[in-house]
Amino acid sequence: MWISLNIIQDMVDIKDIPVADIANRLTMSTAEIDSIEYSHELLKSIYTAKILEVTKHPNADKLTVCKVDTGKGVLQVVCGAPNHKAGDIVALAPVGTKFTETFTVTKAKLRGVESEGMLCSERELGISDDHSGIMVFPQNTPIGVTLAQLYPNLIDVRLDIDNKSITHRPDLWSHTGFAREIAALFNKPFKYPVNYDLAKDFKSKETLKVTIKNPEGAPRYCGLMVNNITIKESPDWLKARVEAIGMRPINNIVDITNYVMAELGEPMHAFDRSKLRGNEIIVRFAEDGEHLTTLDGQEHVLTSEDVVIADSGGAIALAGVMGGGNSEIEDNTTSIVLEAANFNPVYIRRTANRYNLRTEAAIRFEKSLDPELCPAAIIRCYELIKMLCPEAEAVTPIIDAYPVPAKPVSISTTTDFIRRKLGHSIDDNTIVSILTSLDFKVTKNNNNLIIDVPSYRATKDISIPDDIVEEIGRIYGYDNIPEQPPFVPCAPPSRNIKRTFEREIKSILVNDFHMTEVSNYSFVGEALLNKLQLNENKELQLKNPLSKEQDRLRRSLIPNVIVNITTNQRFFDDFRIFELGRIYLKEDRLSKDLAKENTRVTGVIYSKKPAYPVFYDAKACCIGIFDKTFRNNYILKPENDNLPPYAHPARSLELLIHNKPVALVCELHPKIANEFEIKGQVALFDIDVDLLLSLPQQDIVFNELPKFPDVPFDISVLTDEKEYAATLVDMLYKADKEHIADIEVISVYNQPPIPQGKKSVSLRITFRAKDHTLSPEEIDNLQKKVIAFVEKHGYKLR
Amino acid sequence: MKKQLQDLYEQTISAIDKATTIDELEQLRVKVLGRKGDLTQILRSLGTLPQEERVEIGKLSNELKEKIESALENRKTVLTEQQINKLIMEDWLDVTLTMPGTLKHYDRGHLHPISQIQYEIEDIFTSMGFEILDGPEVETDYYNFEALNIPPYHPARDMQDTFWTEDGNLLRTHTSAIQIRGMERLKPPFRVIGPGRVFRYESIDASHENTFYQVEGMMVDKDISVAHLIYFMKTLLKEIFQKETTIRLRPGYFPFVEPGFELDIHCLICGGKGCSVCKYSGWVELLPCGLVHPNVLRYGNIDPDKWSGFAFGLGLNRLVMMRYGINDIRHFLSGDIRFLYQF
Repeated sequence: MWISLNIIQDMVDIKDIPVADIANRLTMSTAEIDSIEYSHELLKSIYTAKILEVTKHPNADKLTVCKVDTGKGVLQVVCGAPNHKAGDIVALAPVGTKFTETFTVTKAKLRGVESEGMLCSERELGISDDHSGIMVFPQNTPIGVTLAQLYPNLIDVRLDIDNKSITHRPDLWSHTGFAREIAALFNKPFKYPVNYDLAKDFKSKETLKVTIKNPEGAPRYCGLMVNNITIKESPDWLKARVEAIGMRPINNIVDITNYVMAELGEPMHAFDRSKLRGNEIIVRFAEDGEHLTTLDGQEHVLTSEDVVIADSGGAIALAGVMGGGNSEIEDNTTSIVLEAANFNPVYIRRTANRYNLRTEAAIRFEKSLDPELCPAAIIRCYELIKMLCPEAEAVTPIIDAYPVPAKPVSISTTTDFIRRKLGHSIDDNTIVSILTSLDFKVTKNNNNLIIDVPSYRATKDISIPDDIVEEIGRIYGYDNIPEQPPFVPCAPPSRNIKRTFEREIKSILVNDFHMTEVSNYSFVGEALLNKLQLNENKELQLKNPLSKEQDRLRRSLIPNVIVNITTNQRFFDDFRIFELGRIYLKEDRLSKDLAKENTRVTGVIYSKKPAYPVFYDAKACCIGIFDKTFRNNYILKPENDNLPPYAHPARSLELLIHNKPVALVCELHPKIANEFEIKGQVALFDIDVDLLLSLPQQDIVFNELPKFPDVPFDISVLTDEKEYAATLVDMLYKADKEHIADIEVISVYNQPPIPQGKKSVSLRITFRAKDHTLSPEEIDNLQKKVIAFVEKHGYKLR
Repeated sequence: MKKQLQDLYEQTISAIDKATTIDELEQLRVKVLGRKGDLTQILRSLGTLPQEERVEIGKLSNELKEKIESALENRKTVLTEQQINKLIMEDWLDVTLTMPGTLKHYDRGHLHPISQIQYEIEDIFTSMGFEILDGPEVETDYYNFEALNIPPYHPARDMQDTFWTEDGNLLRTHTSAIQIRGMERLKPPFRVIGPGRVFRYESIDASHENTFYQVEGMMVDKDISVAHLIYFMKTLLKEIFQKETTIRLRPGYFPFVEPGFELDIHCLICGGKGCSVCKYSGWVELLPCGLVHPNVLRYGNIDPDKWSGFAFGLGLNRLVMMRYGINDIRHFLSGDIRFLYQF
């Protein structure tokens, strides 16, 4: 929202306060000022000059060379406009005038002819949109005067207020609100721009009735009928002010209502009296299906939750949002009804959202406006109409329907409470004087305060003692409150086991397995899922997605991680990344209301030319997590059925604990790799972190270090090529449960002379006895036993 | 005999000096001092000499033998050193190279910069007695808005553009949703933080994301004040930036706190002079905070007449951007390891 300091100046004298100070104090105590804009600053350096002579440019058809009298001398200026002639009084921007960051008028040769300034169009001056030629002033305009002197109304300073910072302050959606704050902050008197005495002149010549049928939707409605109106263009001062508040001048009446809204904060409306059917204005809920065409030409089918202003013929305005086309004032309007009302913010907000009409009026009404603004705005509006149309006449008194007046708000608190909340000993006098400066009426009895809240702060903004604490704090200045550590017992907080576990997993992957953590969106889209053949339409959908690519919540971390591979393979031949995050499962419920969120960790190993299948790296990372978090009672299950479509059917392994699948390790399915144009080998693992955490940790049992030597025994066993080595190892352990301490696969070989379809698995078996050194005979016996066992199971030794 | 000895000695010393390898020295030693060596033979023949001469020659022989031994030893030291120096020179390695297949600088694992700062903040607060809480990312309207004193149709809902899900819930717009869940679970007094991912329905550009990270903080105890809040915020920032940071506290409106503040820090990119990151104001909005609104305490079943508290919400992306001078928020979720390898 824009605040014009010219308008503020009418209410509080700020001439002697630097603008930066105003902006800074407001930011620190009231509302955030986003920026300061010096309007029409340019006009201070551009001045009028008279063209003495116009000649054609020798080298350019469209240019002219002008001699201009600046009042202090004669300059030569090259001009490209089509409309000027000798004798015209025009606006000259002298050398040095800075129009934009990149355009400053310089003394230069234009096509070989020297030019010492620039003649300006109205658009270049910021006066209007006219750029058809340079601006030409009436003949009686003096020369050598700045345009700032000619257009004093345009010279203004505007503050851009961050609207979010005034959401809770209906009073600050107006210039009076800011003027009051500035007056309080700088200790200056404030002058309210409403003269209530004017209402005494209002005559009762005509009949106008206002009936509020639904006070819950519209607590107050004030109307005033004014005759002898002449619709015309507003004077320059008003147009300048309307533009300063960010609106477009329309005509005198519309401009006045807009101006009063910006000044006082009360949105207003003016109906053409001649278009009203009957003498009664009715404020009521719309009927379901009732039609209304608003001023913007849109036709709406209303609901019974919309408040409308109606006459005997039906709705004439969408209350608090926008007027109706059927009662709009036009150039020939001579009699109007002014409206200043108060509406229930909830209804206004719903209606504005329903019809997507976030108008200036709606934005204000939804903040809970002060009902006292209604008569004030009518009076102020009348004053301005009278100023612009002296013949205008109020032909009714203010018709004020206010069936249930708001109760004044009074807050009872203590100065101790305020000090305790702020944690700082501000003395009683300071507290009272701050409140008084903000227009609160304070009755003090020892420490007890009874505070009467001004009506414009009483609608919602100030209702509890804590709100008073804020008033004291912000005016006193939070920066003036010194920090203080609290006195609290010192004890270690209870640990969040899940967070600790997640952090541990990340640390294992980063530090032990050199993986890099990525973070991806929680969203996926249909196209990506289709590409992965993962689209089962089970995702939790967004009602209002930003794009098709992000229109539902992920059920797996894998899709986005695969996209990460395509992003990174352009730059790296080898990388390993992981993500730890949540997936959202709408069919499983976390509670009655919410979808289950399952935390998973998914890792990817990518290698353009791996020395060995990347699967083994992924397996190492995955098992690393299980081992280091002491969930090492897993069973490795080579998985062939029920694999997700991205898993390589011949290179997949499941990790089970207590028969529950906790993790899957696999290489990427070749067809998916093709689909994504992945150039290297990809293996991935996907672990259910919640499930893993829920499984009990294995106790650490200390094992005595072996006292007697190990005896290694290497054998090579011929097996079917597709037999898992683990089957052989598991089997071999059973050969002698007492003395086999360890079995390790050393190498696997399947080249000739190994017959086709077979492979040779070399194993190192370690024999050890707990209580003695194995004797040569014992070793010999063990070796024979192993060989016999192998052969008994149908294997051949090599 | 004496002459013979003297000659042998001089020849030997000269040979030692000329020797270039340890092997040569060893051969010399054997030739002169060995069992059948020249000097040994002379010593053996001593018995044939008359008594007087025998004593004199014997003494001389021993003296020369010791000198030869010491010369051998010295020369050996010199030669060993030369030999090692030569070896060292042959071993010269271009240590500026990185061999293919060895660990490169990016082969280290990297924690995401958001995780790094999140863990730092968790550690700072845990050390001050704060417990870490969690909450769902898909939240109900109640926890995200209503119980935080933002009823339906409250204009403050505009402040946080929201993603809605098909089941009538929403993606939490702030970690403040964790406040209510925390109060439901814990009895006062307590101190908690809740880090997590939050979402806003917002188009993405260099300074806006639809997904980012926050840490919520809340302390409820007897007579918690603005001064306490300032203490924790200053401590936090001092720990994170490892230096005193200039802050300012100004009013800010958040319906779940009263009074509410915006905490700004001096822009660390430009040092407060004004730059594009701080929109030329010299200040960066970092931390909305305030005293917990009595209504919010009531929603959490806590009696506001007995207890009071403060709450804050810290944006982690902004903090990381400030710390490293990152100018584009989109890097965080890009999955681009050229970015991630830098932290």
